[in-house]
Amino acid sequence: MEQFPASIIILIIVSVLIYLGLAQRVLDRMYLSDRGALLVIAAIIIGSFINLPVPFTPVNTTINVGGGLVPAGLAVYLLVKAGSTKEWIRALSATVATAVIVYALGSLVMRGSTAEPGGRFEYIDSLYLYPLVGGLTAYIFGRSRRAAFVAAVLGVLLVDVIQYVWLVNNRAPAAAVVSIGGAGILDTVILAGIVAVLLAEVIGEIRERLRGGPDVEGRPPELLRGLRKPELDQEGVEDDEKE
Amino acid sequence: MKKSRLKIIIGIFLAMVSISFLAYVLSPPFSRPALSLKGLFGSEETDHLVGQYTTIVNEQGNILSMMARKVTVGDQLITDEGKNYRVEKVDENRATAKFLGMDPEIISYGNFYTKQAIAAAGKPAGQPASIAMYHTHSDESYVPTDGTDSIPFKGGIYHVGESMADELGAVRTKVNYDQTPHDPHDNNAYNRSRRTAVNLIKAKPVAVFDIHRDGIPDPSYYRASISGKDVARLRLVIGRENPRMSANMDFAKRMMAAANSAQPKVVKEIFIGKGNYNQDLLPTALLIEAGTYTNTREEAEKGIALFAGIVPSVLGVTGSPGAPVTDVTARNTGTWRALAWIVGVALVGGGAFLVISTGSWSGALKKLSGFWNELTGIAFKRRNRL
Repeated sequence: MEQFPASIIILIIVSVLIYLGLAQRVLDRMYLSDRGALLVIAAIIIGSFINLPVPFTPVNTTINVGGGLVPAGLAVYLLVKAGSTKEWIRALSATVATAVIVYALGSLVMRGSTAEPGGRFEYIDSLYLYPLVGGLTAYIFGRSRRAAFVAAVLGVLLVDVIQYVWLVNNRAPAAAVVSIGGAGILDTVILAGIVAVLLAEVIGEIRERLRGGPDVEGRPPELLRGLRKPELDQEGVEDDEKE
Repeated sequence: MKKSRLKIIIGIFLAMVSISFLAYVLSPPFSRPALSLKGLFGSEETDHLVGQYTTIVNEQGNILSMMARKVTVGDQLITDEGKNYRVEKVDENRATAKFLGMDPEIISYGNFYTKQAIAAAGKPAGQPASIAMYHTHSDESYVPTDGTDSIPFKGGIYHVGESMADELGAVRTKVNYDQTPHDPHDNNAYNRSRRTAVNLIKAKPVAVFDIHRDGIPDPSYYRASISGKDVARLRLVIGRENPRMSANMDFAKRMMAAANSAQPKVVKEIFIGKGNYNQDLLPTALLIEAGTYTNTREEAEKGIALFAGIVPSVLGVTGSPGAPVTDVTARNTGTWRALAWIVGVALVGGGAFLVISTGSWSGALKKLSGFWNELTGIAFKRRNRL
C-alpha cells in the first residue's frame, strides 16, 4: 500500500472502519455480546488469511476460515438457538430459496459467452445479488434478522456447492478451484450476511413503525423473547437507567 | 422438538445429496450449467442473433458506441476525445445519450501526459511494485483465430493476458498473473473471481486488471491501425455499483489519457455501467475489454500490448531516474469525492435509520448516546458506576 497516495489510503481505512462498524452492529443483533461480536470479527479477519484444503475432492477445493467456516459456524449456532421450530424451518427454507434464486438469476439469466461484461440481462452485480435476494427471501419467509443472516450466509455457500457439482460434471481441469469464502472478510458470504440483516432490520423497523409496533398477540413466548431489542438485555444500558 | 429438528436436518441433507447426485448423473459434459432449467431461460445461441447488442446514439442519431450488454438510463460513456455522454433513454437495443460536455479531467490529464513524455522504462527504485491480472470470463475466445467464441476453462483470452504480461515484463515490471479459470461464463463468475482478486491483492499490487473481450458482431468497431499495426482497440469499464466508484473512475481516466497520448486512441472509450466487477476491492482495479469476439486474437494481443507499455509509467512503478511524478491521483478530487460519498451515505443512512427506528429526533439522539456508552463499555467495564 505504500505506493498509494494519502487520499487513497485514507479512503481505504475509512471504508474498512465503516464496514467493520456495520459488521459489529449486525453481530450485535445476533444476540452475541459486544465482546462476542468483536471476537467473531477478529476471527473473521485473522481467518481470512487461512485457506484449508478440503480432502478427497476431485476438483481442487478450499475453504477459507474467515469467509467460510466462521460465518457458517455462526449460522449453525443461530439455527440451534432459534426461538421456535417454525422459525428454524423458515430460516432453512429461506436458505434453499436464496440459493436457487441466486443461482437462477446469476448463472442462468445473466449469462452468455458473447454477453459482456456481466451478461445481456445484467442489472445487478452478483456481489449485491446474494445479500439482496438473501435479505428479501429471508424476510418473506422468516421475518427475522437471524433468518436473514442464516439464509444469506448458507445460501451463498450452497451456490458454491452447485458450482462444485458443475465443475465435476464438466471435467474441470486441474487449474479450476472452488474457493469457498475465499475472499475472507471481503467475500460475498460475509457481505451477504451483513446486508441481509441490515435489509431485514430496515424493512422490519419501517413496517413496525408504520403499524405502531410488532404484532404480539397470539405469538409463542419464544418468539416474543426474540422480538425484544437486544440492548435492553445488556447491563450497560441498565446501569445508565439506574444513574 | 429436538428430535423433529434432527429429522428435518437429515431430510434436507438427504435431499441435497440426491439433487447433487441426479445433477451429476444426468448432465452431460459442457452441455449446460448444473441444474439448468433448459429452455426456460433461453439458450446461448440467442446471443449471436443480430440485434442482441446495444447501440448507443447521440441526440442526432449518430452512433457513439456498441456493446453486447444491457445499457440502462444513467450509464455514462466517455469517448477517446473526452466527450462525456449520459444515457437518457433506452428503447430495446438502442440507447440515446445526451452530451454533457467535455470531461475536464480527461482534458487536463491529456495535456499533462502529452507535455510529460511518458517515462522510459528503468530499473525499479526501492520496493518493486507489482501489477496483478486475471480473467473473470476465462472461456472468452476470438472466432477468426480460435474457431469459436468460447473455449471452456482455456479461452483465447489467456493469450491476450500473456501478451499484456509479456509487455509489462519487458518494461521490467513485476506481474502477478493469476490464470485460475472461473467458468461458466455468467454473472456469478464475478463472485468466483472475487476470491482470486482478493488473493492477488494480498501481494499489495499497485493495480489489478480483469481482462475480457466484447461480444458485438462487428469487428470494425474496434479495429484500427496504430503505429503501423492492425490492432483491436480497448474499452475500459467502470462499475456504478461500487461505493468508491469515483476513485476507480479517476484511474480509468488517467489510463485512457496516458495511453492515448502515447499510442493514439488505443483506448476507444470508458463505459460506466451497472455492476461492480470487484472494483470495490482496490481504487486502481479496472476491467478491460480487448476487442470483440469477431476480431482476430492477434489484433487483441497487439492492442493490449500497446496499452501495457504505458501502464508502469502511469503508475510510477518504472522508477526511471528523474521520472516525472506521473501519479497525479494525489492531486485529483475523485478519491476525496469517493471518501465524501461513503462518509455522507454512512451518516445520512445511519441517521435516517435511527430516526425511523426510534420514531423521533430525541429518540435517535438517545440511542446514539447509548451506542457511544456501549462502545466505551466494550473497552472499560462499568459495573461499579452506581
